[in-house]
Amino acid sequence: MMTTWINASCILVVFLALSILASYRMAGMIHLFAAQSLVVGLVPLFLRQFSLSQNDLMIVAITIVSKSFITPNILFWAIRHVPTRAEVKPLIGIGASLLVSALLIAVAFWVAASLQLPGLSKSNLVLPCSLAAVLLGFMLLVTRTRAISQVVGYLVMENGIFLFALSLFDAMPILIEMGILLDVFVAVFIMAIVVNHINEEFSRQPMTLVRSKMGENT
Amino acid sequence: MLFAIVAVPFFSGMLMFLPFSKPVRLWFVLGAAFAHLVFCGCFWRSMPCSEFNEFLTLDPLGLIVLSIISGVFCLIAVYAIGYYVHEQRSNRTFCACLLFLLASMTLVTLCNHLGLLWVALASTTLFAAPLISFHRCPESLEATWKYLLVCSVGVALALMGTFFLAFAGHEVQTLFLSDIINGKILLSGRWLKLAVIFMSVGYGCKMGLAPMHSWKPAAYGQATGMVAALMSSVVTLCSFLAFCRIGQICAKSGLSDFYSSLLFIMGGLSLVIAPVLILGEGGLKRVLAYSSVENMGILVLGLGFGGLGVFAALFHMVNNALSKAVMFLTAGSIAQKYGSTRVSHVRGVVHAYPVTGVFLLIGLFAGTGMFPFATFHSELMVINAAIISRHYGLAALFVASLSLMFIGMTRIIFEMSQGPATAPVLAKQENFWMNVAIALPVLALVILGLWMPAPLEIMLRKAAGLLTPGVV
Repeated sequence: MMTTWINASCILVVFLALSILASYRMAGMIHLFAAQSLVVGLVPLFLRQFSLSQNDLMIVAITIVSKSFITPNILFWAIRHVPTRAEVKPLIGIGASLLVSALLIAVAFWVAASLQLPGLSKSNLVLPCSLAAVLLGFMLLVTRTRAISQVVGYLVMENGIFLFALSLFDAMPILIEMGILLDVFVAVFIMAIVVNHINEEFSRQPMTLVRSKMGENT
Repeated sequence: MLFAIVAVPFFSGMLMFLPFSKPVRLWFVLGAAFAHLVFCGCFWRSMPCSEFNEFLTLDPLGLIVLSIISGVFCLIAVYAIGYYVHEQRSNRTFCACLLFLLASMTLVTLCNHLGLLWVALASTTLFAAPLISFHRCPESLEATWKYLLVCSVGVALALMGTFFLAFAGHEVQTLFLSDIINGKILLSGRWLKLAVIFMSVGYGCKMGLAPMHSWKPAAYGQATGMVAALMSSVVTLCSFLAFCRIGQICAKSGLSDFYSSLLFIMGGLSLVIAPVLILGEGGLKRVLAYSSVENMGILVLGLGFGGLGVFAALFHMVNNALSKAVMFLTAGSIAQKYGSTRVSHVRGVVHAYPVTGVFLLIGLFAGTGMFPFATFHSELMVINAAIISRHYGLAALFVASLSLMFIGMTRIIFEMSQGPATAPVLAKQENFWMNVAIALPVLALVILGLWMPAPLEIMLRKAAGLLTPGVV
């Protein structure tokens, strides 16, 4: 029974990553990312069959609150003054990038097939799906030109890694798990501040980073 | 003790947000740096025992890196006092981030748990990023963005690798370095290889090795001299320490050859790419950034050669930190005097500022490995190790790369130091504090080049012994 739930959430994570890749609008991307984080955050509940210790519960709560509520709000804050909220000139068009993602998902499943999770796996979809999410996030990161979509790409990657990490709950002391969450959170925070500065500095051009000849300055 | 050495800079960093005046903050940073140095000195007298359920442990390797960090940070703190004489902006964020960076770098050297190591290394990226956008112009923002994104993604891959490593354990899954190295657990080959690849690529990104070096010229070119000095000499060392930790695990699990070949690819590429790209550059700090890429290549190559190579790499790690401090701090004082470090804007430094000009030339010779500076010896040792381990091709590549690098750097630095002097724009005089901060590492490089102190040699041998058991 629980395996069904885990499988369903793993597939949902990949599906949401695909939808993020397919969306043009900033707001839509961020909402979809929030949904994906919620799904990732819920996975430990299914893994432990709803009988969680206090520590596990804490991790679940903190993951969900920080990843699917606070982080999206920080991202919305960073783009609050941006007039055009659609993707400008991705390096690969949306259609083509979806085709490539289909390939990437196949690659993820192929790689995962040759690796065996030692013993403890409750579902054989965790590894391929998390790899797929990492690859899709990476794809988003390298093909999009807007700073905020790159941040979302990074976060999708991070979600993929998290999905993998959650099946490993026992080996990771809670303190380290918290540290990782905190680092990712602070990273997003600093990225949002930089995006905000970029918006102010490049206010004439849209958020695309202009590739200029890099010069020294005072 | 171990907790205290992390806590002192961290809480001092917190204090920076109080409404102090600018000079007070700077003297405070210097005070914290000296406290850190004193702690470090105590550790040389007697090794502290591990703390926090063995999460924090100091070994000889960690101690060497910690001492370099502490020493270079002191130099930066002294330099900052001179630098801020001509700087109008507030230094609140700057001082706070410097101290937080010191705290997280210290934590990296003390980690006995690979998860904690990741957390500490990732936080060095985060605290360094605000320091790069010091000048707050479009170019420096772009550089900050590049650095932040490339390093965060790289470090995310390393996190994936860390998890793979945890999966590699057959029965017990642990990420405690001491458990893995003392052979308490068995690691399965396939997962371990995957983990090693991911971690090397990830931490290599952070260290700025060749295929992942793109952030380096941008970030070092835009960061102010002291920040670039701090990043190129010690922040990169933290990632190198991670490489050493992976090396320890591989040596234990019989994967040394696999790991060496990985290091040869990354190191060799760095040695090829850096001298090629340096030729088209017109900015001093960007040229120095490529020199840093090359030196990182030398470090991982030394690690890959094993045996004497490891000792050479560790010795070069000390020398590289010192020489990069000299070069970037000099670049920083030129930037402050002329408002630029591009060749087209700066000429005849030797005539206008004799002391800075001489430091610029000394930096060139120290950085490219000339006698009597210690870099000469460590680079020679790496070549020696290459030949002993019968990697003749890599040895030839190494020599060719060093020569090309010398040509590339000489071209730009001679052009800047000689010729008719261009009129300086901002600071009209040499600054005592800044020159002291540059003179000290020069002195250390010369001393190390002529005579190796016994305690340092013993410690280096002990550290090398951790990586190649039974050889040294």
